[in-house]
Amino acid sequence: MPTVVLMDSSLSMTRPVSQEGSEEFQRKNLAVHGLTMLFEHMATNYKLEFTSLVAFSSLWELMVPFTRDYNTLQEALSNLEDYDKTCLESALHGVSNIVQQEWGSTCPCQVVLVTDGALGIGRGSLRHSLHTLKQRVEDKKFPLPFPFPAKMFIMCIANVEELQSTDAMDNLEQLIGLNGGEGQIFTMEGPLCLKSVQSMFGKLIDQAYTPFYAVLHCGNLASDVQVFPRPEPVLVDEEVDPIPKAVQTEVDEVGAGTTEDAEEEPSANQMAGKSPNFCVLLHGSLKVEGMVALVQLGPEWYGMLYSQADSKKKSNLMMSLFEPGPEPLPWLGKISQLGPISDAAENPYGEDDSKSPFPLQPKNKRSYAQNVTVWIKANGLQTDVQKILRNARKLPEKTQTFYKELNRLRKAALAFGFWELLKGVAELLERECTLLPDSAHPDAAFQLSHAAQQLKLASTGDSQYSAFNHNITPLHTDFSGGGAGDRM
Amino acid sequence: MDVSMMFSVSHKTAFVVDHCPYMAESSRQMVECDMLTKSRGQGVIPLAPVSKSLWTCAVECSMEYCRILYDVYPTRKLVHYIVSDSEFHSLNSWRQEDQSTQELMAALASVGPPNPREDPECCSVLHGLVAAVESLCAITQYQHEARRTLMDVADRVANRGRIICLTNAKSDTHVRMLEDCVSETIQEQNKLAAGSDRLMPIQRCELVLVHIYPQGDDTLVSDRSRKELSSVLSSEVHSVRAGRHLASKLNILVQQHFDLASTTITNIPMKEEQHANTSANYDVELLHHRDAHLEFIKSGDLHMAGSTSRDSGLKETVTLKWCTPRTNNVELHYCTGAYRISPVDVNSRPSSCLTNFLLNGRSVLLEQPRKSGSKVISHMLSSHGGEIFLHVLNSTRSTLEDPPSISEGCGGRVTDYRITDFGEFMRENRLTPFSEGVLDASGRTSSERAKAQLERHTRYWPMIISQTTIFNMQAVVPLANLIVKESLSEEDVLTCQKTVFNLVDMERKNDPLPISTVGSRGKGPKRDEQYRIMWNELETLVKAHVGSSERHQRVLECISACRSKPPEEEERKKRGRKREDKEDKAEKNGKDADEKAWPDSERLKGPQEREKEEQTESEMIKDSPDSPEPLNKKPRLMSEEIQPPQKSKGPVSLLTMWTNRITATSRKHEVFAGRLNSVNNKAELYQHLKEDNGMDLHENGKATR
Repeated sequence: MPTVVLMDSSLSMTRPVSQEGSEEFQRKNLAVHGLTMLFEHMATNYKLEFTSLVAFSSLWELMVPFTRDYNTLQEALSNLEDYDKTCLESALHGVSNIVQQEWGSTCPCQVVLVTDGALGIGRGSLRHSLHTLKQRVEDKKFPLPFPFPAKMFIMCIANVEELQSTDAMDNLEQLIGLNGGEGQIFTMEGPLCLKSVQSMFGKLIDQAYTPFYAVLHCGNLASDVQVFPRPEPVLVDEEVDPIPKAVQTEVDEVGAGTTEDAEEEPSANQMAGKSPNFCVLLHGSLKVEGMVALVQLGPEWYGMLYSQADSKKKSNLMMSLFEPGPEPLPWLGKISQLGPISDAAENPYGEDDSKSPFPLQPKNKRSYAQNVTVWIKANGLQTDVQKILRNARKLPEKTQTFYKELNRLRKAALAFGFWELLKGVAELLERECTLLPDSAHPDAAFQLSHAAQQLKLASTGDSQYSAFNHNITPLHTDFSGGGAGDRM
Repeated sequence: MDVSMMFSVSHKTAFVVDHCPYMAESSRQMVECDMLTKSRGQGVIPLAPVSKSLWTCAVECSMEYCRILYDVYPTRKLVHYIVSDSEFHSLNSWRQEDQSTQELMAALASVGPPNPREDPECCSVLHGLVAAVESLCAITQYQHEARRTLMDVADRVANRGRIICLTNAKSDTHVRMLEDCVSETIQEQNKLAAGSDRLMPIQRCELVLVHIYPQGDDTLVSDRSRKELSSVLSSEVHSVRAGRHLASKLNILVQQHFDLASTTITNIPMKEEQHANTSANYDVELLHHRDAHLEFIKSGDLHMAGSTSRDSGLKETVTLKWCTPRTNNVELHYCTGAYRISPVDVNSRPSSCLTNFLLNGRSVLLEQPRKSGSKVISHMLSSHGGEIFLHVLNSTRSTLEDPPSISEGCGGRVTDYRITDFGEFMRENRLTPFSEGVLDASGRTSSERAKAQLERHTRYWPMIISQTTIFNMQAVVPLANLIVKESLSEEDVLTCQKTVFNLVDMERKNDPLPISTVGSRGKGPKRDEQYRIMWNELETLVKAHVGSSERHQRVLECISACRSKPPEEEERKKRGRKREDKEDKAEKNGKDADEKAWPDSERLKGPQEREKEEQTESEMIKDSPDSPEPLNKKPRLMSEEIQPPQKSKGPVSLLTMWTNRITATSRKHEVFAGRLNSVNNKAELYQHLKEDNGMDLHENGKATR
């Protein structure tokens, strides 16, 4: 996930730290030293992640937009200038805008705030911001919590005692609280020196920037892999299942299936040589065959592996994580019920790969796939009545459709207790009967009065005629044209 | 992080619909259904408009609520439909099988409209409300399963529910009375449930009272937003005119109750019904889980994204523009979620045109209208297995952009991966759905069997071409395909043996092998060395499966007996260089001789038959420097007292060795019943087969013991 480094460039950062030797350091130097260490770590272990650098004082400035180029970040860091006072609120607004513009509001981010804990004075200070939290109007709200999922790590170039001597610590804790508790405050232990700043950033790295190593298994074939971005644990159900589900590092390939978001690439710092790697083999075959592989990430947590190509010639193995659960994709059914095709009586993919057992059809059709009757709006009812009348005028040719539409209307009217409609349509049919032209087929009159009579019977509620599953069938007549052929 | 609850209030919805005589009253909303007559003129008297009763309005709106609910949540969100008059009538149950609008429609038809002549004194919606509370205490199959799997923490499984009561109340006091009744019943039922294993106390109940009154009347009941009546019960009152007001009220409620949101697809080109050659643009409104709008909601973009308030002013819809699909559109988009949809106007012509288009397998990309005029594709509509899903596409920059090529990583420089073979492997290991609860003999589920098969198939699977000889040989394929099976038939064993004999044959003929020369200087290993490598590899493959069954074991035995073995190192040294001339000669001679002795037609003969012929052949082979030493690897199989009869005569032939082993091994086993009863060492096998097709199989039968 992307990182925004929010660097305090206020004047207080230039305060010298009490000395331990010849060289004199400013707090800023210590901060730069710690961030250098973080960037170096990321350049080696996290090189696919994006990081940006924002410097702030009373104003804020995007020094480096999101990049994977850690040299640029490092360079910008070394050229930071010193400005005036600390004003965190506007800087956090800046972070919020930068992230949303770049990644939208669903992409999780990490914000690393580096400060000396002198959080400004008067208007614009954090203390002032927090005091006025409840007096905000809609468009001047405090930027936390961020609209995107975010973790906030506060790196204090100060030790706890110093922070607690003022209300700085309280204010920072309140800040984490405003972010839904997502984040942590790091402070320096012992004297402010290079060593203690290293140890503090070391803790941040362990906490938030450990690379995700896993082993991908396919039966006895296996490969060590590193996954970018790191898959974060997911809380599925806070009541029944309150423990966050974490991706297990032993990843099992369940099998290949037919034809969301993590990227996986073989670890680069392994014995980079010419020894074959299962990931490369798997990737090559998935690409050639156009297949995806189902992968199990934990109990009832699955994902899929496939070859993902960019617009150029490069392609890599990608892993998409499904939502945890036994049935992540409804059209695959329950994953635990997927078995090898060799267990099936005949190959469900066909001998020539012409078929597929997927997608599975749901047991009940959805309403839009089953010609339901809805009369909420008047025109729904009008259309259905018109259909019947239109077919009534084309009897006996349209006998089948006439009765089909008639029965559909009858069923709905019975279910909705709309007997008045049955009587009304019966009257309409009787009237149609009287309006038949002389040229009309004699069968038409018989069918119309038969249908009208049946509707009237149904509208009495007499159980013999108003059963839901009963269908009105065409009257059997002996006319040469109509009759047997048209019977339903 | 958006955390959900499996058993929230929306897990159970009890509908209580008033079926008392007063519900038979007309809603006074008139529907003109005799539309065609007007155009016909000619003095036809049009049919008087019909009007729906309050009951009909209540029923069709509740069905619409259920239709949308079942479209978006086909499982886990359950409805219990209760009708109340002089008693309650339960039209279905919490069971998943009962959750369909067709079932409910059939049940409603059997209830029929309220009987206006029934004694109003005996009738009340209270019967239904009491039944609804009782029903909320009943455990659903999902709660049951969750409790069963969580044994020790079963109390974490919650029991909540909602009662939607559609009635015609007399007054606000009447409403209070209904609420009090529900509240008291919950207390009583919770006491009962506490002492029962089959019931669960209600932890939370939302009562939604909808008072329906005819058009033109003044309402006697006032609207009231949600109010907590007790720690368990909350109640809200909606006073709504029958007809379209009721319909839009229930449409809003279903959205609120199930976290739905509305998207209007605009600019859908559709042929006009009347004029087939013209096309107009239509809009279709869809409902779906509101998470499909997460990006808009979070960024506060809802209004920017073309959101408009419609009808009642309560409902918001996000407008997305149809993008006419290009053919063969295989643009890849990062999809971050897929949500089921339900059309608001399900059987209107624009809706059914859109849904049929999608059900026929087409996809539609949806564009988000932006002020700036830049085109952003944010969603896609597409169906899977008869269900339509709204897919959310990532429309901002992706953190996955510009990934490195896999060839830059570990093992990326290796060029001879067995890509095609692994493709074949994947195709053989494809998955297919099996019916629920199918376990095999060892109690494994289908997916466990799939993993077990992967394990077997990969016990020996070299990843690159230069690491393997046998998988580059067509001749090995039959054995390689069979040996990975969990169990082998006699026929399979025979096929494997034939494969081995075929290899022996190739070796005799000195056929070249596809041995990789990568890494070795010059021409690579000598031919006999090649075969030694090949046999070793074949043994490795088969040994990996030898534990599977006795028949797998027999395939290994066959290889061990037939394969060429390298001479002892010392022997090789002693022989020195002068041997090599001989070898070359033998190679040439051997090849000629082989072709005579092993014509193609003979290849498939069983070892017993070959044994007879072998007497003559052994003379030719015994000079070969690669004649095998007696195998000593598996002492269990070697019997001290069994000595190859030809041992005194010097080196033995492969096939003699094989036969001897067969004999030796057979003594370790119980003698086959057929052999005990045999006449002249011949027993009839497959007697029933013979009955069937009349073929005499006893010759082969012996060979396939």
